[in-house]
Amino acid sequence: MKRCSKMFSVPALRLLTSVFTGCLVVLMLPATQGLAAEKTPVQALIEVAARPQAPDFLLEDVDGKKRRLSDLRGKVVLVNFWATWCPPCRHEMPSIERLSHILKDADFAILAVNVAENLETVFSFTGTLDSTPTFPIVFDTDSRVLKAWPVRGLPTTFILDKQGRVAYRAVGGREFDDPAILAQIRGLMEAR
Amino acid sequence: MPVKQSLTSTIFGFILGLSIIAADAAETKHEVNPETGVQSWEFHDQGVAFTIMQITPDQARGFFLARGFDRQAVDYYASYCVFMTIVRNEAVPESLSYNLADWRFYGKDGKTRKLKLKEDWLKEWRKRKVTEPAIIAFEWSQHPSTQTFEVGDWNQGMTTYALPPESLFDLKFRWKVNGVIHEAMLKDVQCAGTTPAH
Repeated sequence: MKRCSKMFSVPALRLLTSVFTGCLVVLMLPATQGLAAEKTPVQALIEVAARPQAPDFLLEDVDGKKRRLSDLRGKVVLVNFWATWCPPCRHEMPSIERLSHILKDADFAILAVNVAENLETVFSFTGTLDSTPTFPIVFDTDSRVLKAWPVRGLPTTFILDKQGRVAYRAVGGREFDDPAILAQIRGLMEAR
Repeated sequence: MPVKQSLTSTIFGFILGLSIIAADAAETKHEVNPETGVQSWEFHDQGVAFTIMQITPDQARGFFLARGFDRQAVDYYASYCVFMTIVRNEAVPESLSYNLADWRFYGKDGKTRKLKLKEDWLKEWRKRKVTEPAIIAFEWSQHPSTQTFEVGDWNQGMTTYALPPESLFDLKFRWKVNGVIHEAMLKDVQCAGTTPAH
């Protein structure tokens, strides 16, 4: 104990306790979204009638490779804005991974845009998942891309048609491998 | 937990040419997490769900210290009463919208107050020269001030109330469907204490 107090002053110990509590709150908060989630059977994407062209972006992925959204033209694309501290973002991530497996042989791509975090933080989170995401995660370090898109809260997800237009959106977490959502995405893939 | 039907505001609303409907037959629930002691309040009415859950000052401090805020700034934020807030369109077929600037809370001192919105906080953080990465994390962790939801849409984020720990208050929240304003009151909501209950 004496040794411990030599290593850390009392204010430093308090600071460490607070940071630890902060980590705990992120882990604890999924339970809050569960409160409301279990009462919501609706798993659907919202149709964007006007189908505006999606704002293009060029961002680096975890390997430092640059990914340009418009390079995916010709595929249906899921663009997910997320952060590790956002409980519903964490909750829906495994369902996005399952979706990517279901549609692995289809003209379908995923770009998960992480907002203002670094590689280390993202790796710490993905390492906790049962199945590490195999789809590209790109980094919007200054949130400039996020602000160019019609996003007010995280997570927000957009599904683009093969022409790069926004066909569907989802505000808040979803189970992306839900049959209703899968049918909507497949419908886009079948469309010309 | 009863929902107060605000007949007065309904009458005034009609006089003003606005239609304000106080929530009828709403289901509200107050829960205490047996493991953490954290309290939450839930409201459900005609396809709208609203949940607030206590965040302790230590949790708020820890969350923002881990995201680049300095001790002085997090102490300031944690001096406010903070709730994790979830709004969800469970089954309203039309668009549901809300603006946190329209919400009010009533402390036991009888005063009516507005929530402190994320835009107010952002101005203060910029004056205090908080770093931009920390500001970005803050901005997206707070509940959006305005939002429009279709069925299945929802958001989760923090809301703040200028009250000391353990204060009791009533919260009147509003939302709009098809141009009609709806409102409801959550009674006897309590801010988290300075120490965890367990």
